Amino acid sequence: MSEKQRQFLTGAEVVVQACLDAGATQMYGYPITPGTEVLTGWINQVDKLEDKMYLQTEDEIAAGFAICGAVMGGKKAFTATAGPGTTLMQDAMSMADGMRLPFVAIIIQRGGPSSGTVIYSQQEVNLAIHGGNGEGMRLVYSPSNLEEMYELTRLTFNNAWKYRFPSVLLSDGFLMKTRQPVELNFEIENVEPTALVSPEVQKNIRNIYSFEEELRLELENQEKDFNKMAEEVTKSESYKVEDCDELIIAHGIVAGAVKEAIEELESQGKKVGLFRPITLSPFPKDELNKLAKQVKRLFVVESSMGQLRDLVKQNLDSKISIEIDGLYRPAVGIESEEIIKAINK
Amino acid sequence: MMYKILLAGDGGQGIQTLSYLICNTAFKNGLEVSHIPNYGLEQKGGVSMAYIKISDKAITYPKFSKPDFLLIMSDQARDRTADYQQSGVEIIDIKDHVDFFKENNVEPYSRNIFFLSKISEMLEKQEIIKKQEIFEALEEKLSKKRGWEENHRVWNLA
Repeated sequence: MSEKQRQFLTGAEVVVQACLDAGATQMYGYPITPGTEVLTGWINQVDKLEDKMYLQTEDEIAAGFAICGAVMGGKKAFTATAGPGTTLMQDAMSMADGMRLPFVAIIIQRGGPSSGTVIYSQQEVNLAIHGGNGEGMRLVYSPSNLEEMYELTRLTFNNAWKYRFPSVLLSDGFLMKTRQPVELNFEIENVEPTALVSPEVQKNIRNIYSFEEELRLELENQEKDFNKMAEEVTKSESYKVEDCDELIIAHGIVAGAVKEAIEELESQGKKVGLFRPITLSPFPKDELNKLAKQVKRLFVVESSMGQLRDLVKQNLDSKISIEIDGLYRPAVGIESEEIIKAINK
Repeated sequence: MMYKILLAGDGGQGIQTLSYLICNTAFKNGLEVSHIPNYGLEQKGGVSMAYIKISDKAITYPKFSKPDFLLIMSDQARDRTADYQQSGVEIIDIKDHVDFFKENNVEPYSRNIFFLSKISEMLEKQEIIKKQEIFEALEEKLSKKRGWEENHRVWNLA
């Protein structure tokens, strides 16, 4: 498919299409709601194809380490998981952090802690960014709608292979289960995978070091590379920010509800804008600080107890003194009416 | 134009199928539409809901706190949707049709068709989708399956 055409798809169908178009060849995973449809959708698509494969492993730990092995051999592999599955996945993702593996994970947030609820939350932000032991330098995208989810899934693969940091497409069960008309942008070129090790290229890629200094040097180099990558991949959206008095900060599907709320607030004569980090890691701090200087108040809206707010605080210039309020609704959806009420309070 | 529909019933009553028929017809008519299902852990017997938005403008968020129309197809769905039963919301509730179903021998498996017919009528009145177009989508899906004659009768009854 090369031209844009209007299709009526669910989020899971969009993600599977993006993985196929990204040139992924294998998926290893364990079914868990609300991510199961990515696994079953992938199986339905590739079952009869000779050059693509899947394996339902015994758990997420096995799936994660299968990804580590496959990507070292130069295969575009990925997994999809959620909730307690994301917790188990951290063992392998932490190894990928240490070894700079192009590990691609589609994480579909559900309510927590533990098994929690099965459809929706925004509570896996911390886990996606910093889930392992150590600092865990990862690229994390948070799409807000289905068309963007397609593009960001493609970018997740491309940038994982280009920059060699574990890369996450972080979404939620609402977006994954929503069916909407979409026109997908197929005009994205793929970054081709190359084997990290092979009979010709023998290399010792380590996740353990004998001396503390060796590890420190390795981490310093990783940080340097991550910061360099940040200059090229960091993405954000600023919506109706010209002359706004207040700035709402939201990510993912919640930002869609914020846009609805802003339309209504505008008709009430309020000047409210939206800042939406598209990459949660690296965080678009320059754009945030630029906008924070222009407004009287920052207002964070999220379906967690403050995981996005903490990112905002970490990235806010210490010289900027500004009020930060918020609407924190862990594990439930946030409708525009609620946001309007909270802003007007 | 932005029209918000919430369908609620027990798992197995066909809530998601009704939703798909409505949404797919809206999609084919070039409208903006979103459908998001909501159900719990139960494989069968829990509450099944469908949030639908139909608009001529882009839809940025698929859920809502106040529908324009609410369908209630069971007792537990009535309890679950208590917050949505607000003034100004047009509600069709199965409890108001119990006698009608008895008098007209409408079997439980066909009751969703009766409600789909009612909803289609309402969408036509709102000038959003023509009733005939939803019927054609239904016909395409069910006409070759067992029980179609009865389903067709119930559609016309509504």
